Amino acid sequence: MIPRPFDYERPGSVEEAVSLLAAASGREAKLIAGGQSLVPMLSLGLARPDLLVDISRLELDGIQAVDGRIRVGATTCHRTLELDPGVRSLLPLAAEAAWHVGNPRVRNRGTFGGSLAHADPAAELPVVALAHGGEVVARGVDGERRIALGEFFLGYLETALAPDEVLVAAELERLPEGSGVGFHEEAQRADDFALACAAAVVKPDGGARVVVGGVGDRPLRFDGAPDELAAVVEAEVDPEEEAFVSAAFRRRLAVVCARRALARARQDAAA
Amino acid sequence: MTLELVVNGRRFREPVEPHVTLLRFLRERAGAIDVKYGCGEGVCGACTVLMDGVAVNACSVLAVQAEGTTIETVAALGENGSLHPLQQELVERGAVQCGFCTPGVVLGSLEAVRLGLAGDRPTLRRSLAGHLCRCTGYGKIVDAVEAYRDREGATS
Amino acid sequence: MSVVRDRPARLVGRTLVRHDAVEKVAGRTRYAADFGLPGMLHAALKRADLPHARLLRVDTSAAQAVPGVASVLTAKDVPENTVWVDVPGQTFQVGALKARANVLADGVVRYHGEPIAIVAAETEDAAVAAVELIDVDYEELPVVDDSEAALEDGAPCVHEEGNLLASWQLHEGDVDAALADAHAVVEQSYETQFVDHAYLEPEAGVAWLDSGDVITVRAATQVIEHFRDLARILRVPDNRVRVIAPYVGGGFGGKEDMTVEPFLALVVQHTRRPVSMVWSRSESLLAREKRHPMKLRYRTACDADGRLVAQDVVILADGGAYALLSALVLLYATTCSQGPYACPNVRVNARVAYTNHTPASAMRGFGAMQVALAYEGQMDLLAAELGLDPLELRRRNFVERGDTLAVGQTLDTHIALPELADRVEAALGPKPEPSTPERRVGRGVACNFQPYGRCVWLNDWASAWVGFELDGTLVVRIGVPDIGGGQASSLVQLAGEVLGVDPADVVIHIGDSALTPLTGTTTATRQLYMSGNAVVQAALELREQLRPLAADLLESEPDDVEFAEGGVRSGGRDVAFRELIGAAAKREVPWHRLSIFRAPGGDAWRSESSWRGRVFPDFTYGCHSVDLEVDPETGHVDVLRYVAAHDVGRAINPLSVEGQIEGAVVMGLGYALSERVVYEDAINLTGTFAQYLIPTAVEAPEIEPIIVESGEGLGPFSARGIGEPPIGAVAPAVAAAIADALGRRLTVLPFTPERVAEV
Repeated sequence: MIPRPFDYERPGSVEEAVSLLAAASGREAKLIAGGQSLVPMLSLGLARPDLLVDISRLELDGIQAVDGRIRVGATTCHRTLELDPGVRSLLPLAAEAAWHVGNPRVRNRGTFGGSLAHADPAAELPVVALAHGGEVVARGVDGERRIALGEFFLGYLETALAPDEVLVAAELERLPEGSGVGFHEEAQRADDFALACAAAVVKPDGGARVVVGGVGDRPLRFDGAPDELAAVVEAEVDPEEEAFVSAAFRRRLAVVCARRALARARQDAAA
Repeated sequence: MTLELVVNGRRFREPVEPHVTLLRFLRERAGAIDVKYGCGEGVCGACTVLMDGVAVNACSVLAVQAEGTTIETVAALGENGSLHPLQQELVERGAVQCGFCTPGVVLGSLEAVRLGLAGDRPTLRRSLAGHLCRCTGYGKIVDAVEAYRDREGATS
Repeated sequence: MSVVRDRPARLVGRTLVRHDAVEKVAGRTRYAADFGLPGMLHAALKRADLPHARLLRVDTSAAQAVPGVASVLTAKDVPENTVWVDVPGQTFQVGALKARANVLADGVVRYHGEPIAIVAAETEDAAVAAVELIDVDYEELPVVDDSEAALEDGAPCVHEEGNLLASWQLHEGDVDAALADAHAVVEQSYETQFVDHAYLEPEAGVAWLDSGDVITVRAATQVIEHFRDLARILRVPDNRVRVIAPYVGGGFGGKEDMTVEPFLALVVQHTRRPVSMVWSRSESLLAREKRHPMKLRYRTACDADGRLVAQDVVILADGGAYALLSALVLLYATTCSQGPYACPNVRVNARVAYTNHTPASAMRGFGAMQVALAYEGQMDLLAAELGLDPLELRRRNFVERGDTLAVGQTLDTHIALPELADRVEAALGPKPEPSTPERRVGRGVACNFQPYGRCVWLNDWASAWVGFELDGTLVVRIGVPDIGGGQASSLVQLAGEVLGVDPADVVIHIGDSALTPLTGTTTATRQLYMSGNAVVQAALELREQLRPLAADLLESEPDDVEFAEGGVRSGGRDVAFRELIGAAAKREVPWHRLSIFRAPGGDAWRSESSWRGRVFPDFTYGCHSVDLEVDPETGHVDVLRYVAAHDVGRAINPLSVEGQIEGAVVMGLGYALSERVVYEDAINLTGTFAQYLIPTAVEAPEIEPIIVESGEGLGPFSARGIGEPPIGAVAPAVAAAIADALGRRLTVLPFTPERVAEV
């Protein structure tokens, strides 16, 4: 019911944060930004770090166009993605997906970077990021490192970030002019964790991409012809059997989400 | 660490351990018992407070993360003992039964109306999704927030 | 109960603002956890990690050594480690039952989460840390996690006396002959699930040692009479324990059995210090008692006109690890199993088994609601078999005044089912069109009935004290716990009605076993009936007590005196209460009254044979309809519209009545579509609100409550209870609507997307 005690630091810079993480060897150190995943886990006893390093105030928020990509700062709130009109035109896929993240109070604090670094396979924003493609920008003791999004999500709550690294931004590829996007989620109740979700992009050259979440230990990306992708998803996803939701049903939902996201993307492209 | 923040207009300067949530701090150290523990997961909304004007789940914020902020709870509403118009509507429309979800609902709804996210009943309901209520069935809560929104619209 | 004869009601029937609502919306109400005392300890429980195991060793030494820990208690520290619940027994098969549970596990644990030890410490941090250091050596025992398996030969025993917890058997008429001769017979099995009360306020309380060595417990409870149970556990006299119920943040039956009270009382007894305990949501979801799941097998037969000729019912409920109120729940299920339908031949074989699941006990609907899924499903199947409209088939079978249920219960008040069905049909327009070509819209109707008031042989009573102050304001003192349903405010309304006092001039003190007259449990939809009648009775008696004096002051005949608008009046003259009471004080006319309302009782239960006779005082009847849209691919169900009609006798506060109906409907929708406690080998996996899915404002539809006032009910001003009744009709209405949408009837609750999609 209550978190177990830990040490806490609020560094004034990313470099300082990195040093704290690097110096923590032997102790479990975690970064905290919005805390909307982490603090409940602390309260439930599911996470018992020795040290928390708070980067929520490091001014890592903001969205800018950078060299043909869109750079989203790590501490950009879900609420900003959901409501900001500028974001809606730059990143329509992210804007739509953000609306599905938790409830408004959670979105007021939860961050884009936190969602990526936490890497819950059912989370919406990793799915969106992977749909765009691009790179995660991280800073560690060896300086800045760029990790391709396709190589970033490694498993259940596991990313390619090293223990001393801070995710400072993601640079998302701009989608080709004339692309259409669509997002679809199936959850039992409005703000629940997704049972399955999918982000789809339909490109002007006729190619398409769909990323599904919630059906594996990480989001899964598939590229191909729009008409074939749903079948690919059905063939490729291999969800685990669980007490609350069967593997067969999750597979079904993944396919439905992929199909509906693709349909929306086609409509969006036509518009 | 020493935590400095303002709660309902009162300034606090207290040593606080990092693992203490804002919810626990407000209830135990700031006397704000109107902020409720319902789930500790950020799902039920009973612990909603305004932090620098933004609605957050106090159970999902560490007290030390609220350093330098201004916190308002439902107790900050209303003037001279009279109820805020939204509170009046909730009471008059039978939207308060056991009352445990109510303080959170008040603050969450105020934000939804202020941000224009309560324009029709389905949108209003969506804004209320993170406020669980087990007693009322939500209908009268939606009625009350709608009525308040219309009152606000009429006077603004 | 005589009603106020002299004038039309001024307050009853009006929508008054609840006094408690104003405080609650302002955040000023002090619930159980919002209370503290200097030097207060914090208590936490060590709970079993396994569902069935011997406790070879419970080592608390490391816990006791944690700085700040004041006390660690185990079974050996509990003077009387047994909670006894007297329950009516069953047939000769089982005999009289004294339901028994431990306060703290003694040598064996029987469910996941069963309390093993209590830690009390200076801070919550120390208590939690100490609990984690309690070292338990378990010897795992075979687990029983299915009610059918529990009753097979050779099943592992949860308790020494075997796994049959209770049984009710009933056979009226000749069911087999009727089945053989029937025009149509439909047979179906139905299954309901474990659900949780999921009140927003977790279990909580504070206890302390008050003057006179009175152990005082202020806890979120529906029953202040538990002071007697605590006295027994502590082995102290009854008058040395006091229970106070503050306003409760939801109960729904989950705070009917004791929760934190015995643990708090034990710590106070041991340490003589004040102590607080608040359960985490996880604890509450994992280990607090649940609703009984039931496996129901029905054969229902009718003649060529659709009139029922036989109901053959088998009920098997899962009682979990301890009996608690299981036998009573089963009795409710048995009594109501035929539904509100006349039937000459009824057989019920009802049993509840022990398993190693969480103990099941009271929850809104209390057995009578689980069977509604089956009896309504059967009516739908028969209607389809005969090609009749579902409501038409029901109309041909509704019980009527004077009918007798198979258990021997006569129905002597007005039964409004035909009118309720009419009102629901009139409210329904055409079925909505699906929002996309792939989706399907379905419409379902269901009827139900639910008892209000306790079993008659319990000879229920409730007392109330009503009195003026010298300045003419009014005080009501009554032990009723207010759990959110407006229990207290309705009594203000009633007292004000009878005595002519404005509700703003009435203060009510509730829920204190030492200071307020006892009025019994806030359960069984009995409070409006019992405490309402008690308050009306006390107020009437007080009024009559003051009438001669009033007549004297007004220089009029006693019969011409009217108590209204803050005073007494007659023939153009009026005297304010302040003046009346001032005169009463001078002339030694008492200006307060204590009164006991006794519900009409019933024959004492006999233990030797299958029990027959009147069970309940009365019932509340309902008819619901739901329109919903199904996405066959994903199984997602959108409830579009819900109509719920109930005869409440008289609506004391119509807004409150609507609120009860709407809240019960949404709780019923959760039960129908999304709520379930999931176990794996009797380990409860459902520990968070992210997993236990209660409806949010999005899932809740627009609900149209239809209040019918037949003017016949046993409560004050002819009211009937409404707290529980609406919940029973929801799941069957949803089942019917989904069947209408998909052409396939689901019979296992909840109707999750996976089950609806039928992958």
